[in-house]
Amino acid sequence: MKKLVLLLVAVAMILPLTLSSCGGGGEKLYLFNWIYYIPDDVLEDFTKETGIEVVVDSYASNEEMYNKVVAGGAGYDIVVPSGDYVSIMIAGSLLEPIDKSRLKNFGNIDPAAIARIGFDVGNTHSVPYMMGAAGVSINTTKVSGYEHSWSIFDRPDLQGRMTMLDDMREVLGAALKSLGYSVNDADPAHLEEARLVVERWKPNLVKFDAEAFAKSFAAGEFWVVQGYAENVFLEYPEDRRAEVDFFFPKEGMPMYMDSLCILKGAKNVDQAYEFIDYILRPDVAARIADYLMLPSPNVPARALMQVQPNYEFTDLANGEFKEDLGQETLKLYNDAWRRIRVGN
Amino acid sequence: MTRLPGTAKTPGGLYAAPSLVWLSVFFLAPLAIIVAYSFLTPGALGGVEWSPTLDAYRAIANPTFGKVTVNTIIVAMGATAITMLIAIPCGYYMARSEHQNILLMLVMIPFWTNFLIRIYAWIAILGNEGFLNDLLLSLGLVDQSVRFLYNRGAVMLVLVYTYLPYAILPLYSTIDKFDFSLLEAARDLGASKMSAINRVLLPNIRGGVLTAFLFTFIPIFGAYAVPLLVGGTESYMLGNLIADELTKSRDWPLASAISMVITLVTTLGVLLLLRANGTSVLGGDDHEAAEPAGEADALGAAR
Repeated sequence: MKKLVLLLVAVAMILPLTLSSCGGGGEKLYLFNWIYYIPDDVLEDFTKETGIEVVVDSYASNEEMYNKVVAGGAGYDIVVPSGDYVSIMIAGSLLEPIDKSRLKNFGNIDPAAIARIGFDVGNTHSVPYMMGAAGVSINTTKVSGYEHSWSIFDRPDLQGRMTMLDDMREVLGAALKSLGYSVNDADPAHLEEARLVVERWKPNLVKFDAEAFAKSFAAGEFWVVQGYAENVFLEYPEDRRAEVDFFFPKEGMPMYMDSLCILKGAKNVDQAYEFIDYILRPDVAARIADYLMLPSPNVPARALMQVQPNYEFTDLANGEFKEDLGQETLKLYNDAWRRIRVGN
Repeated sequence: MTRLPGTAKTPGGLYAAPSLVWLSVFFLAPLAIIVAYSFLTPGALGGVEWSPTLDAYRAIANPTFGKVTVNTIIVAMGATAITMLIAIPCGYYMARSEHQNILLMLVMIPFWTNFLIRIYAWIAILGNEGFLNDLLLSLGLVDQSVRFLYNRGAVMLVLVYTYLPYAILPLYSTIDKFDFSLLEAARDLGASKMSAINRVLLPNIRGGVLTAFLFTFIPIFGAYAVPLLVGGTESYMLGNLIADELTKSRDWPLASAISMVITLVTTLGVLLLLRANGTSVLGGDDHEAAEPAGEADALGAAR
């Protein structure tokens, strides 16, 4: 009983502290972002400059973010969805329109990138944050005499040493591109062709893996993997990076863009604009790109970058943004993918 | 023992209230949500729409699901059988050993390490460039690394490894209570070693065997992480299917319906076992129920 009383006293003492720390004083901004997607010091400097405290919460998938927002928003001001989810959230009127006149740095974004956006034409509700694509990584100490093409997955001599992502859009997107179709192709006949391509690749693959492939690639276990450069290079020993040939297949590939969006009903809209404009500043954008080792969609930021990114912006020229497929087409993709995964 | 708990003046109901509330809030309520969702229409963007339909159950009739279910049953039955074959002698040895505490601790030690880290350890051991292949190559036993991982066998191996302690512990605690002089009696009465074990020991520890079976079969039937990490392109199990339907295909009713299948299969299994074996399955006082039968068997063996 004594212990219980002590516990209650302890709780009673801690509670006001935690409450005051999230309710007190100055301006605040609630950011709901991908995990490890923005360096902490950028957020700290933003607070130093503006006095606005940034409260960050993170997610690991668009679905996770979306479900949390739909379930009640949890009071976030800014979210960072990928392209397909930007259009889903616009359709669901979950996003506040963006008034670009309040963002004096918006012009820094590469017009070439903006021109390819289909999920929010004219960026009425979203501001590009980062873009990139999954590519193919090859361990050149084990594999030679290959082309920069999806056809690498056709090679039976590499059987048991290759993986592709456990990701419907990425794998079917790769197959669609290898056939010369769009990664968002809605034609069932094209999709069936793409499925057969993946079925042809499948016997050569060890597995479809989006979780552990980079570790095994770094260990020399797998020699050819489809995946994001940042995952691969995070695991690969720094001194042996030259062994890895990371490329985007010449036929093209699915590409993603994550964008800053203000949630409908956000309480701190002014602060949100201030934050987005801060992120668009060349020096800040360069720091973020350095941290992620990705090319920046922010043109003046590219000259300020200090780290060699994993690939250049121009490498993405053949990429195509993944758009929301709509319910009917999504069903076709799901069916094709399920047949591939389960084996008919 | 004639008074029922919770009646009359006993405060049993009060004692049980916290766990009752806990179970109904965190077990029954989610289950009710799953049941309800499985009869609804998938929302365009995940979630559900409130119009009832049987579409999800119709979709399950698809041969694809049959194939995954069969694969899941094969893996679960196989892994459980192997687990039991290892666990019963282990439990027996532990119960008879003088170093019970040390052995018990050795069984518990794996729990000190995170489950996922232990799976990654298996990858490090069995991988193409793993420890075992390095050893085989350096001994010259093979000239090309053997692919141990990424197939059904690897999934079963790691599942057996993971759930072995869950089988050993209930078996050990049951065998520990077993009166070993019964075995001697059976031998005295002419039973061979094997028949003494089959006809005296096994019937007496039936409760522990069934508990161990349930503790391994049910979690293996819903396995997710192991097939994901050490499975290959063909090692897809129901757990993975549910996760994919929920997160990737955004078809919550279908995911719920598949969960219902798992729940029904396991519940049905438990009920059948309970019916066939009385209360002994739940680790109740199996001595009362099983011992007379065991004695009768011992006599039978003697005859």
